[in-house]
Amino acid sequence: MSRESSRSANSGQRSKRSLNSSNYSNNSNSSNKKSKISNQKTLGMAWGANSLSSSRSSFRTSPFSDFGSYMVEKNRKLQNQFNAEASNSSHGGSSSEKPIFDGVSIFVDGFTIPSRQELRGYMLKYGGRFENYFSRHRVTHIICCNLPHGKIKNLRSFSGGLPVVKPAWILDSVVASKLLSWVPYQLEQLADNQPKLSAFFAVKNTPVAEDALNVMDPSLKGGTSQDAGLFVVGDPVKEGEQIDGQFGDHDCKIEEPSSSSGKSSEVRMVEPTDTEDESSVNNEIRSRSCPLSVSVRIDCLDNQNVRKSPTPSIAGPSNPHHSTLEDPNFVDNYFKSSRLHFIGTWRNRYRKRFYPLSNEFRCRSASTVNASDNSQKTTIIHVDMDCFFVSVVIRNRPELQDKPVAVCHSNNPKGTAEISSANYPAREYGVKAGIFVRDAKAICPHLIIFPYNFQAYEEVADQFYNVLHKHCSKVQAVSCDEAFLDITDLGEIDPEVLASTIRKEIFETTGCKASAGIAGNMLMARLATRTAKPDGQYYIPPERVDEYLHELPIKALPGIGYVLEGKLKKQNISTCGQLRLISKDSLQKDFGLKTGEMLWNYSRGIDNRLVGVIQESKSVGAEVNWGVRFKDMQDSRNFLLNLSKEVSLRLQGCGVQGRTFTLKIKKRRKDALEPTKYMGCGDCENLSHSMTVPVATDDVEVLQRIANQLFGSFHIDVKDIRGVGLQVSKLENVDISKQGLERNSLRSWLTSASTATRGQDSINNIYNERTNIVPPSLYDLDMGVIESLPSELFSELNEIYGGKLVECIAQSKGKREDSSGSSRILYHEREEGCGEGPLASNIFPPNMILVEHTAKQHISEQSPSAPPVSGAGSNNEAYQTAGLVNIDLMPSSLSQVDTSVLQQLPEELRADILELLPAHRRREVISTSSFVPVTENAQEPLKIAENQSISVNSILNSDLWSGNPPQWVDKFKVSNHLILRTLAEMYYKLGSTGNLSSILQRAISDCLYILDESDDSWADEASHYLCELLKQYIEIKIEFDVEEIYLCFRLLRRFTKKSKFFLQVYNIVFPYLQSSVGDHYGGHLHISPHE
Amino acid sequence: MESRENQSPQDERARVLVEFLEVAITSIIFLKGVYPGGAFERRRYMNVVVQRARHPQLRDYIHSAVTGLLPFIQKGLVNRVAVIFSSTDNIPVERFIFKLTVNQSCDLKVEEGDLEFSLRSFLMKLSVSGPLTKVLPRDCRWEITAYFSSIPQVGTSKYAELWIPTDTKQWQQPPLITPIKSMSSEPLFMQLYLEHPSLSEPKPEAKNY
Repeated sequence: MSRESSRSANSGQRSKRSLNSSNYSNNSNSSNKKSKISNQKTLGMAWGANSLSSSRSSFRTSPFSDFGSYMVEKNRKLQNQFNAEASNSSHGGSSSEKPIFDGVSIFVDGFTIPSRQELRGYMLKYGGRFENYFSRHRVTHIICCNLPHGKIKNLRSFSGGLPVVKPAWILDSVVASKLLSWVPYQLEQLADNQPKLSAFFAVKNTPVAEDALNVMDPSLKGGTSQDAGLFVVGDPVKEGEQIDGQFGDHDCKIEEPSSSSGKSSEVRMVEPTDTEDESSVNNEIRSRSCPLSVSVRIDCLDNQNVRKSPTPSIAGPSNPHHSTLEDPNFVDNYFKSSRLHFIGTWRNRYRKRFYPLSNEFRCRSASTVNASDNSQKTTIIHVDMDCFFVSVVIRNRPELQDKPVAVCHSNNPKGTAEISSANYPAREYGVKAGIFVRDAKAICPHLIIFPYNFQAYEEVADQFYNVLHKHCSKVQAVSCDEAFLDITDLGEIDPEVLASTIRKEIFETTGCKASAGIAGNMLMARLATRTAKPDGQYYIPPERVDEYLHELPIKALPGIGYVLEGKLKKQNISTCGQLRLISKDSLQKDFGLKTGEMLWNYSRGIDNRLVGVIQESKSVGAEVNWGVRFKDMQDSRNFLLNLSKEVSLRLQGCGVQGRTFTLKIKKRRKDALEPTKYMGCGDCENLSHSMTVPVATDDVEVLQRIANQLFGSFHIDVKDIRGVGLQVSKLENVDISKQGLERNSLRSWLTSASTATRGQDSINNIYNERTNIVPPSLYDLDMGVIESLPSELFSELNEIYGGKLVECIAQSKGKREDSSGSSRILYHEREEGCGEGPLASNIFPPNMILVEHTAKQHISEQSPSAPPVSGAGSNNEAYQTAGLVNIDLMPSSLSQVDTSVLQQLPEELRADILELLPAHRRREVISTSSFVPVTENAQEPLKIAENQSISVNSILNSDLWSGNPPQWVDKFKVSNHLILRTLAEMYYKLGSTGNLSSILQRAISDCLYILDESDDSWADEASHYLCELLKQYIEIKIEFDVEEIYLCFRLLRRFTKKSKFFLQVYNIVFPYLQSSVGDHYGGHLHISPHE
Repeated sequence: MESRENQSPQDERARVLVEFLEVAITSIIFLKGVYPGGAFERRRYMNVVVQRARHPQLRDYIHSAVTGLLPFIQKGLVNRVAVIFSSTDNIPVERFIFKLTVNQSCDLKVEEGDLEFSLRSFLMKLSVSGPLTKVLPRDCRWEITAYFSSIPQVGTSKYAELWIPTDTKQWQQPPLITPIKSMSSEPLFMQLYLEHPSLSEPKPEAKNY
């Protein structure tokens, strides 16, 4: 058998191989010839069956019944040999060698350096085992230098889920005389393909029990003793059936044995598809659970949850039911391991914990504000922990104090995780926050990297603040490791002594060092700390401020960032001394009022801020820009849900609710490659949309709906999304927000406006009526009407219903190409749900439905400016007055005029408004809002719009039937063609039912006579428009109202008798109609020729 | 009728729909004059004058046929319900098609009045749509056929067993369609239209004239 064939068969037949391996253990004699062949195939050359011919010849003469039993016997013999040799070597003088490979059983695949014999020797010497033939049950690690392409492509079937490691692992372990983690020694070839998120989650159960120091892999111990257990766990036959898909099962199964019998089996389940990067992530996640004592169980569970991440890659095609149900944990876990998140939410915790203290102090400080303002003797201490994130982690490890240590969520030497904090020894090497681990390792090879330990951070931060509060009541927390103390009130105490006391106490309680800066204000205190670091303190007395600042680089000043520094550099300013030479005026001219003043003040060491003014956060939000890869809408929806949950939790945590919601999206730039940083966001465009609702909320559901709506408005390919953030601003405290509802709602706007108008009384009456109206139940609303509302109004209504409107509409919505983005998501969902295709309901232009439903008072009540034409009752009048309000409020500044409101206004009012506008702006308004003049004085708007020409393109792209009144009406209204104008006129005469058939009907009865004279130069263009109109109408109506179309075309048919124009149009559109009918009804419309 | 309160909106809708179908089909049969006028009696349904079959067998056939559809309509499986008039050799001459689309996911409670308003217009239009239809050949047959959007599971209901595969032949050419009435009252969409053989359709039934 050739090598190739054995290889290729190898990849496909894992199940059989596994079957065989179980045959071995059963020592079954019943295996037939077939199994022998498959055995041969699957094991292949490399796996040990040396050559078919030799085995066959030996088999003929041997007592073995078949190949299988022969191999069993051979393996047994080899093992005995090995054991014998091992005991020899351990007896023979080398007994001093530590059995570091205890529990490790290697299989060497192919050519290696050092040779397999040498490796075997090492294993003999150091208590490991060496397998000549691969067996999933006996082998724990596969050692090789090179893998052929085929094996890499089908790694799982090749390795059976075992780690594939370079021989250097063994050598290095021997040198280190301890078992090193194999992870860094993983075969590089496997790291080539950029992994996806799921891959990264799937693997994270891998090296569960390694601690961050790579000391020893305790889980390897007793690995072999668990063989029996493993057999149960990795039921080979089953696994073979579905290599990838079963992986999930696998994990589930392993959970039991591992939780009951210890960590041993974990190693066996190692996912060998890890690439380097993946394993870096492993580390990260692993390290999230407590660094030293590893809880296998938790990891397993975790793994199960997280494995199905937004973007599955290895789960690929064999796992089509990739359930995103469990995604959620991605967001959760993301924030669990995020340092920024920790810092961000820390404040909350602080406030809760120290609220009474700071509150009390705030009261007092309020009374002393003036005093402290005048007296120049304020003394501020700024206390800052030294490299907090590192020193906390190593606070109990004195031996590491002088070694370079950094904190990072990943400890992969090749990883692209960013160092988040490095201690001073490490900084000497140039290791600093923000650089990649691999770069850090390059600069400083013996850098020790620790994972975050958020629990410890919290603990230490609490201790830190306890100390501070003990000494001083005026404490302003800046962050978890940094605070200002105002010790002015403490009287005679020498600030330097106090500072050192505090520092000493901090060190005693927390084991971490802190630096302190003392000065007359917060700015100087902070700058002093800068000088004081590390582990020191520095006092800048008022008289030395100038001196200190003179040479200070401007960059050191808070508030001067990269950009500002750059600008100043351009003016040749690099120190505060130079900055001081510039006048305040020119600074303010160059950098704006505030920044200019800040620069001027800061360069002189002036800082009027008071300690203790806790800045209320202006927004609450959450953003994920790492690891975001969506496969489809469903992924993104789930993600948004979880993000909303997170944000909602944060809002609740802060006790606030917000009204403005901003969704930020990082969208991969078109030409951007995969980012250097693993799973990072790379080069992105930042997009954001926001939305303000009248009622502040922190409700998950509302958040989610809003997020979905906002998300929909982006219209981007989900695959390009690299980061998503949801931010809530316009925060209100929960109790406050409960009182003042709907501050910005249309209603209240109307009330306030109404006082300024002439029709005060009537409006107020009407208004009062309205305010008492409870919104009708959702079921009573006509979705067609709702949908036709202008977007602003809609979103308001939507909010009144807590966002449910959108959902409703989306549900009832059919395939409308221009469906608004917000509902698109939902629409997709529906499409998945019912395979039968969309059930459209609102395909009709809204106002048609309106005809049927004008009776529904409550709707029009609810939406004051909705359909100006619906039921000409008192309501209508009210709308008009509401329109007047509008004019009075903003007559001059057009930019503030909401064109969609204008659009809804009655004709006269609109004309009035337009007259008030400066002439050059008129056109703008007209073009942005589509005006629909009412027929009574149709002349005037025509005048206004005279110089407007309709461009063919615009009409083609737009949806002529959308809007209320539909767009075609305005387009036709201003057309040069008589017939089109007539049609638009008919639209109004009919009270705009919107039904084309009734319009045509009316046109036939009213003005058939004019049709003859309609032969002018515009005919071509006009017929084009009309065709387009009809086509779009067919598209809208065909599915559910073929009757209407039938009517229209019978009417059109009658027109054709009179008018060449219509004949032309009819002939163009008719084939389109028939094919469309054919598509939907499988037949042709029967339009009798003799009408 | 009695248990209306307990029903979900969907069920309620389906029930109304089935009731309506029964009346509408009877009206069609009356309209086509398949049976002598004495076989029907005037009744009032939804405030419109309709015909009701007096012959128990006729009545039962229509009733059981549409009632058997109820579970499928509830599930939204029924695409079209056709009343097919065919010549003796099973070639259809005329088909009345009720095209149904029920938005299953929408659980809005439909105002019964609204639904009735729409359905009534069907019945009224139907009663005057005689001129649109063709004269039927003598000895014609007719049947009620339902088109499903997917094959229903057997044994969902005892009525379901009453439905059997049809042996009525299909037209070879796409038919000519004459719409009679369409309604759209969220979440129910129904259209009634006529299908006639296309002019190019081979006409074996011509011998029956």
